[in-house]
Amino acid sequence: MLLIPCPHCGPRDEGEFTYGGPKSRLPALDLTADTQDWHRALHVGRNARGPLTEIWYHSSGCETWIEVTRDTATHQILNKAKGGST
Amino acid sequence: MSRLSDGGMIDRETTLNFTFDGQPMVGHPGDTIASALLANGQHLVARSIKYHRPRGIMSAGLEEPSALVTVKDETGSTPNLKVTEVSLRDGLEVSSQNNWPSLTHDRGATLALGGKSLSSGFYYKTFKWPRKAWQTTYAPIIRKAAGHGEVDATPDTALYDKRRKACDVLVIGSGATGLSAAITAAQSGATTIVLEQDSILGGTLLSSDATIAEQTATHWAEDAADALVSLSNVTVMTSTLAFGQYDHGLVQAVEQQTAGSAARSILWKIRAQKIILAAGAIERPIVFPGNDRPGIMLAGALQTYVRRFAVVPGKRAVVAVAEPNARADTIRALEHAGVEIAACLNAGDQILSTQGRLRVSGLTWRNTQGHRQKVTCDLVAMSAGWMPTAHLFAQMGQPLEFDAYTQSLLPPQTDGPLRPVGGARGVLNLRDCIADGKIAAHQVLAELQMHKHLSLTPPASTARPPQGFGSGKGKAFVDFQNDVTRDDIALAQREGYTDIELTKRYTTLGMGTDQGKTSWTNGILEIAALTGEDPAKIGHTTYRPAYSPVSLGTLIGTEVGEQMLPTRRTPFHGGFEKLGCVYQTSGDWLYSRYFPKAGETMEQAITRECHAVRRGLGCVDMSTLGKIDVKGPDALEFLSRLYCNNFAKIKVGRLRYALMLREDGYVFDDGTIARLSDTHFMVTATTANAGSVWRHMRKSAQLDWPELDVVLTSVSDHWASLAIAGPHARNLLTALNPDFDVSRPGFPFASVRAGHLGGLPVRVFSVSFSGELSYEINVPAGFADTLLSRVIAGGEQWDITPYGLETLDVLRIEKGHLSIGTEVDGRRTPADLGLGGMVSHTKDFVGRALLQRKALQKDNRAQLVGLESKDGATPIPIAAHLSTTPLGNGGPMQTCGYLTAAIHSPTLDHPIALAFLEDGQNRTGEVLWAHSPIAGKSVQVRVTAPCAYDPKGERLNA
Repeated sequence: MLLIPCPHCGPRDEGEFTYGGPKSRLPALDLTADTQDWHRALHVGRNARGPLTEIWYHSSGCETWIEVTRDTATHQILNKAKGGST
Repeated sequence: MSRLSDGGMIDRETTLNFTFDGQPMVGHPGDTIASALLANGQHLVARSIKYHRPRGIMSAGLEEPSALVTVKDETGSTPNLKVTEVSLRDGLEVSSQNNWPSLTHDRGATLALGGKSLSSGFYYKTFKWPRKAWQTTYAPIIRKAAGHGEVDATPDTALYDKRRKACDVLVIGSGATGLSAAITAAQSGATTIVLEQDSILGGTLLSSDATIAEQTATHWAEDAADALVSLSNVTVMTSTLAFGQYDHGLVQAVEQQTAGSAARSILWKIRAQKIILAAGAIERPIVFPGNDRPGIMLAGALQTYVRRFAVVPGKRAVVAVAEPNARADTIRALEHAGVEIAACLNAGDQILSTQGRLRVSGLTWRNTQGHRQKVTCDLVAMSAGWMPTAHLFAQMGQPLEFDAYTQSLLPPQTDGPLRPVGGARGVLNLRDCIADGKIAAHQVLAELQMHKHLSLTPPASTARPPQGFGSGKGKAFVDFQNDVTRDDIALAQREGYTDIELTKRYTTLGMGTDQGKTSWTNGILEIAALTGEDPAKIGHTTYRPAYSPVSLGTLIGTEVGEQMLPTRRTPFHGGFEKLGCVYQTSGDWLYSRYFPKAGETMEQAITRECHAVRRGLGCVDMSTLGKIDVKGPDALEFLSRLYCNNFAKIKVGRLRYALMLREDGYVFDDGTIARLSDTHFMVTATTANAGSVWRHMRKSAQLDWPELDVVLTSVSDHWASLAIAGPHARNLLTALNPDFDVSRPGFPFASVRAGHLGGLPVRVFSVSFSGELSYEINVPAGFADTLLSRVIAGGEQWDITPYGLETLDVLRIEKGHLSIGTEVDGRRTPADLGLGGMVSHTKDFVGRALLQRKALQKDNRAQLVGLESKDGATPIPIAAHLSTTPLGNGGPMQTCGYLTAAIHSPTLDHPIALAFLEDGQNRTGEVLWAHSPIAGKSVQVRVTAPCAYDPKGERLNA
């Protein structure tokens, strides 16, 4: 059970969050991106050992999506999580 | 009674009565079941799993491999409890396990006469044929003969709870090391929690005759415990077993509550900055022939029973303790109890055999001069050394390393949150343990910046006993719980199961409820002795939580029955209840299902409700829909990116049906978008997706398009929503006294109006799921009752009929409307659902690109169609599969689609269905077979459009 540093609420148990997968930069919605661009953004992950930036939704807290960089080998959290507003 | 007349930490003033296999026995507060049994002279308590050999109590702690019993109290019976882990209570019924007809005369023991017949792999090699006999004959017999206690199948009436704590320093264990670490941490001001599995603090200090600072060890422990309890920054939790370490300093522990408490146990999740693991060490048995007879016990356990529980464990003892100081200590304890020392074995002696049937009666050995010796005895104190209890450390995945100096598996140096100290890292000497606890506490406090760094050198771990004992040939047990002998391990090596993981699984070494606590190190040393391999290279199998078994009740906690999930009720719940509503669970919701009149069946009620909506007036609860308020200058752009259809020209006061796709192009959800002002929209999501659509929108706004100026608010719970539907819906709306124009031209279909109905603040949406003229009236949730009673009273003249989920479903099937989870199942494109025309070609939106994938654009995909039975009368079986041919009996057959819904339409008075059919949109009029082998029915059906009723939608504008 990870302890996730929420920028709004402080360190909270993983159980309060919903996992959103690795952070992916979605192609712009300007009619230019094709199937391959979206396929790469959504389906092709590196699955690397080491630091990975993921998104978590603080569903039982402030209801913001936050970015967390986690070492996939040790579960160590490497960044000070940054979160969205709205 | 085998109890000393004074001494020990028991309350002799109070007598507790309990039974063992029906025999009445007595004990005192402070006893465990183990100490009380021994004080009653009961050494034989169990039969072993495979050979049904008589077994006694070997240890005094959680490492006990043999003495498992079933304990019954007022809440029911619990199997497989270790006698050493249960505090004695008045009225306990303790019974032995795995024997028939009785513990002293166990027929199963005749199996053991066969000797080697039950060696490793015996079952796999023997019961190979006939093949079917394994299931029918062999397995039932073997399962009856081998095993532990039986589960009490009656519901557990005990209560359980789960709680959380956090602290700076968590100390696990309260022996010399733990107490010294806890006091050091506490005195620096750190919030400190001390967990002790035992009912009192002190660990092995409670069975030591050493002196510390001119005090007895017991008094020193008491003083330390008193000091800790008096500090406000310290929480001391006894009878609390830390059973697992998890990420980021989380430790889970189970606290056993004393009898009379509301809960039987509490599961604690404790988040600590630093964890000091002072769990001590477990004594290692000696592997020699016949080492499992009742009366053969670990030397440290005997000291505990004598000194802490004032038990006289026997009359004549043989002492086989490898380490000289421990040997002397054991002899002192036994002599204190008046036990005669029959013999004291010297290191290097070779133990040949033991005698005795239900209890050890003699021991034979060959001394270092080669002379064969034999004595009678009723007790053997054995010890081959100590093994660190570093399980919680190893659970996180870092392996323990076999260390030749201590001859045990030691945790390596670590800078993680958990630090093994004292016995848990092989430090056994009392003064060293006190120093180690203190130094470890200083170290973690310095890391927490709560103390200055002190350059202190931790004491070295204690060397192994200089020399052990030899062993003769015969049944020498390594794993007592699983009846694994030295010969079994040898057999596994001979047959090629040399990898440690394979050895474990082939022999069952280290399995079971004790997970090899007393056997693992001996197992490694046996393999090393057999193969000549370096024990450090053998390694160990994976350590996993729980350290000791935790009951399922504890893990489940309060989440049983109605407490398992929250039950959500809509704001109309109370009002509907008065109208005779029958409810059903739908997701988290308790949703109105139907409203039967006296004597009506559900089918009759549904038919009546449907007719009311189609011919007169009905009302239905729509409050469970997700409602999201979207505001801001970029609100329209935001929604335009999220939904696939074009609504750029939507005017204020109008609403549109809208379709949301997932990134991969499949349909995610549908709903309506209502424009309340230029920059203010209210969007609905389906009940099932209310949470996920909200989450998706939050993600889009926060992470994907932070440049858009938009504010989202979930208002699902703020609005109560009641739909009135039927030809008289406008009449009722007028009768409710609106302060806005509700005429057909003034309030057309697909519009929204904000205003008042007879003073009630409302938003009214002219939308329809039923296909009839319909208005969804939204009021702030607190006005739900008022709205409902006005609607029911005002609608009386048109015989207003409340309806529920069943009728809602029938009406939407007649209209071919989609239901999330049935038609929209995560594999459908808009075109599959007949909504391909909605997809915009002029704008970009989430899902556009991947919707263009070839497979999603194929024109013969399974598409939504309607069905009617060919003869217009035969019911269509639900969940049937579609085929062009009649059902054959030639095995699997080709299907071309399947049904998602099938009803008898009350409105059309014939059976209809919805289905996905390959290339369905081009097959209208075709006759197919609908097969349901489960219902045993095959019906001929004709393909139609999905919408069976009012296909042009004329009734919406009535």
